[in-house]
Amino acid sequence: MTLATGKVGIICCSGEDLPEGTISRIATRLVLEKLRPDETVTLCLPLFLAGGEDERAFARVFPTIAVDGCSKKCAEMGTRKFSGKPVATIVVSEVMKKYPQLKARSREKLNTEEMELAMKVAEEIAAKVDQVLCKK
Amino acid sequence: MQEVNVQSTQADKVAIISCAGMDKALGSVARACALKVVERLRPNETVLICIPPLVAGVKPYSELIKKHPAILIDGCAERCATKIAAKNGAKIKGRIFIPQSVQIHNLKPNTASDIGPEGEKLADKIAEEIALQIDKLVGKRAKNG
Repeated sequence: MTLATGKVGIICCSGEDLPEGTISRIATRLVLEKLRPDETVTLCLPLFLAGGEDERAFARVFPTIAVDGCSKKCAEMGTRKFSGKPVATIVVSEVMKKYPQLKARSREKLNTEEMELAMKVAEEIAAKVDQVLCKK
Repeated sequence: MQEVNVQSTQADKVAIISCAGMDKALGSVARACALKVVERLRPNETVLICIPPLVAGVKPYSELIKKHPAILIDGCAERCATKIAAKNGAKIKGRIFIPQSVQIHNLKPNTASDIGPEGEKLADKIAEEIALQIDKLVGKRAKNG
């Protein structure tokens, strides 16, 4: 699905329970700050889930990409429940299967290998952003 | 601890619920505090409640939050951790409000991506405060951390 709008909302799970949640968080920040700063905004999932009407309204109007750490897909589920289905979902544990040499072990600070993994996830998010905005 | 009416209980574990907000440095500090407590300071006395699956009703989070006394960590005035915990039946025994901790300790985190040395120091101090409250809740003498 492609929508010609100016901004894409990135909603990441940022889950604290698994290293993949930390990867989702760092990957999202990489997209926001380095890869697609002008095309993306982040929606705070806790605020979204707690009833933040601004966040929910944005997700109703603009396309969103959910970035989930694991197969529970909480970011996708939450977005769908309160605003609408995300145009895409990136699941970190699925991306990791493509790079078996890269392991995620830490929930706190990422090492070089984990940062490389976060960048791989960030690149997948950025590619989806381009697709949604009809840029490539 | 701020805004807290901590009561001693004989709980075996304490639930830690942090906002982990994405778009503010203080959300990153909240997340860092929670992880320091559950991974380093009191790993055997705590359970970490992940907010997204809690709201989605995923077990065991939806059960753990009702079972254990909870300490909440909010990164901003929206106080999402508090709202979500209350809505899901948490037994709230303590609350940390990171903006207030910033003022108390006079330490300012850098950014959401990198909280920097002051942010780390702030997270360490708050984590130690939380650990002491956990000791009270589980009926143990305070440890040296």
